[in-house]
Amino acid sequence: MADLASSAPAGGAVRAPIGLIFGSLLRADFTVLLRSGRTLLLNIAVPIAILVLIGLRLGNKSNALTQGGPGFVIGLALTYGLMASSLMGYSITIARDRDAGVFQRLRVTPAPTWAIMTSRLLVQIVVDLIMTAIVAVIASIIFGKAFSPGEYALIFCVSILGGAMFLAIAQAVVGLVRSATLVNAIGRILYVVLLLLGLLGSSGILGSTIEAVSDWSPVGAMINLYAGVLNISSWDWTDTSGLIATIGYIIVGSFIGIRWFRWESR
Amino acid sequence: MTDEAATIAAAMLVVDRLVVTYGTRIAVDGVTFHVQRGEIFGLLGPNGAGKTSTLNAIEGMLKPHDGTVRVDGIDIQRSPTDAKARLGVQLQASSFQSELTIEEIVRLYAGLYGLRITKAGIADRIRDVGLGDELGKRFKSISGGQQQRLSLLIAVINRPALLLLDEPTSGLDPQSRRQLWTRIENLRTGGGSILLTTHSMEEAQAVCDRVAIIDHGNLLTVDTPAGLIAKHRDDPRVVKVARGDVTLEDVFIGLTGSEIRG
Ligand SMILES: Nc1ncnc2c1ncn2[C@@H]1O[C@H](COP(=O)(O)OP(=O)(O)OP(=O)(O)O)[C@@H](O)[C@H]1O
Ligand SMILES: [Mg+2]
Repeated sequence: MADLASSAPAGGAVRAPIGLIFGSLLRADFTVLLRSGRTLLLNIAVPIAILVLIGLRLGNKSNALTQGGPGFVIGLALTYGLMASSLMGYSITIARDRDAGVFQRLRVTPAPTWAIMTSRLLVQIVVDLIMTAIVAVIASIIFGKAFSPGEYALIFCVSILGGAMFLAIAQAVVGLVRSATLVNAIGRILYVVLLLLGLLGSSGILGSTIEAVSDWSPVGAMINLYAGVLNISSWDWTDTSGLIATIGYIIVGSFIGIRWFRWESR
Repeated sequence: MTDEAATIAAAMLVVDRLVVTYGTRIAVDGVTFHVQRGEIFGLLGPNGAGKTSTLNAIEGMLKPHDGTVRVDGIDIQRSPTDAKARLGVQLQASSFQSELTIEEIVRLYAGLYGLRITKAGIADRIRDVGLGDELGKRFKSISGGQQQRLSLLIAVINRPALLLLDEPTSGLDPQSRRQLWTRIENLRTGGGSILLTTHSMEEAQAVCDRVAIIDHGNLLTVDTPAGLIAKHRDDPRVVKVARGDVTLEDVFIGLTGSEIRG
């Protein structure tokens, strides 16, 4: 206990530098994320599986799922990864930590609350980008198509946008729902519903109204955006509307997710 | 300025007419007290009395419905960052990220208080609370008492001017309990103040300079343990429950009643 007895209380003598605070949070949040095998599996292995399975079929025959071409398949794989990391990873971790009182403990330190949350969001975006890089490289191998640096840049931009959108949706869920069990369940349901809406809707097999709804849905918008940036010369209104929808979801989701978020679950 | 006003102005912690509500439920109903520099102050009260709510308001974790809290002269609501830098906190119910190791948790919290501690320095601190063998273990895989020891280690990592402990000895073995009191004494010797809650009247009597008894969100009485006994030994409610010499526990039960709280 020499550390305590040796000198007078020093607390408050200095203001903790925000760089050190933020760096410490990032380091801890990264460590937690990397230790969670399930998250990594969802985030990276499944998109690759989608890419490989559908991508290889694309070579043989065409069907409703694959009629969109490589851009569609890459978009689907990336969208799946982004959505999984937010709706099944981020929201559940936040709800669980809130239940356990992890946030309460962090909040009684001088760390600003925005830093606590931003660090969580930032590590998710970084994992999203790593996933994007891996999927893009594998896609270029499968489809025998080398992306230009510009195309890579655009894919990353769409991933950042899409990552932000699904995180905003996940944030809205943890903002509106206190119970960790319920957040878990809602995340999964939302995940399936959004996936089906985006996938089946965009295929047109459910009719043109559903197709229009799908284009404005998070998954539909993302798939269109990825396909759009991978074939920039054919950029059209569907892609623009995807961009508008994405930004809309980010704004609405973050507003709800911040406005109603509570740090404790009681 | 009167002597008392001067003492309060110089206090490490001033809680003034604090009101904490949860919806329509009033948990703390106008509580006023102060903790002097170098003082160990005990907050006693039955389950649900409002102890944790009072501490949470001091920690800036919840916004009081009314009243003010000043830590070292700083209003916690107005300047939370500066006030929090002076605080050391052990919460009654809280947790660390369960996937992090003990070492990583200590490093994280050192960083949050702006401290750059070397790996060896961190290991020293962890060994100091007897968790040397647990250093690389994840938080979720150490025992409840060990978790409590880690929580107490983190509470003093920034050598706080004011240490807030919410039932610090719960779950601790006698050795760790003894060490905790030594630690608290040392912190006080260095000029720090301690505000703690406990359900152990013997502990309160042995270590606290002053204690307050709180019930249903109201502060019933504040004094030194000996002073409280002297003041209330002839209260009929206390006499009724006392067996032999009046103890702090008799005063506590006499003032707060014998029924068990829901
Ligand atoms: N988050 C909350 N929401 C609603 N009511 C709460 C909340 N926290 C505490 N209460 C209520 O406020 C009152 C005071 O609770 P508090 O936790 O401050 O008591 P305490 O003195 O710390 O009790 P204990 O000895 O059991 O720890 C209780 O009636 C409790 O039910
Ligand atoms: Mg309590």
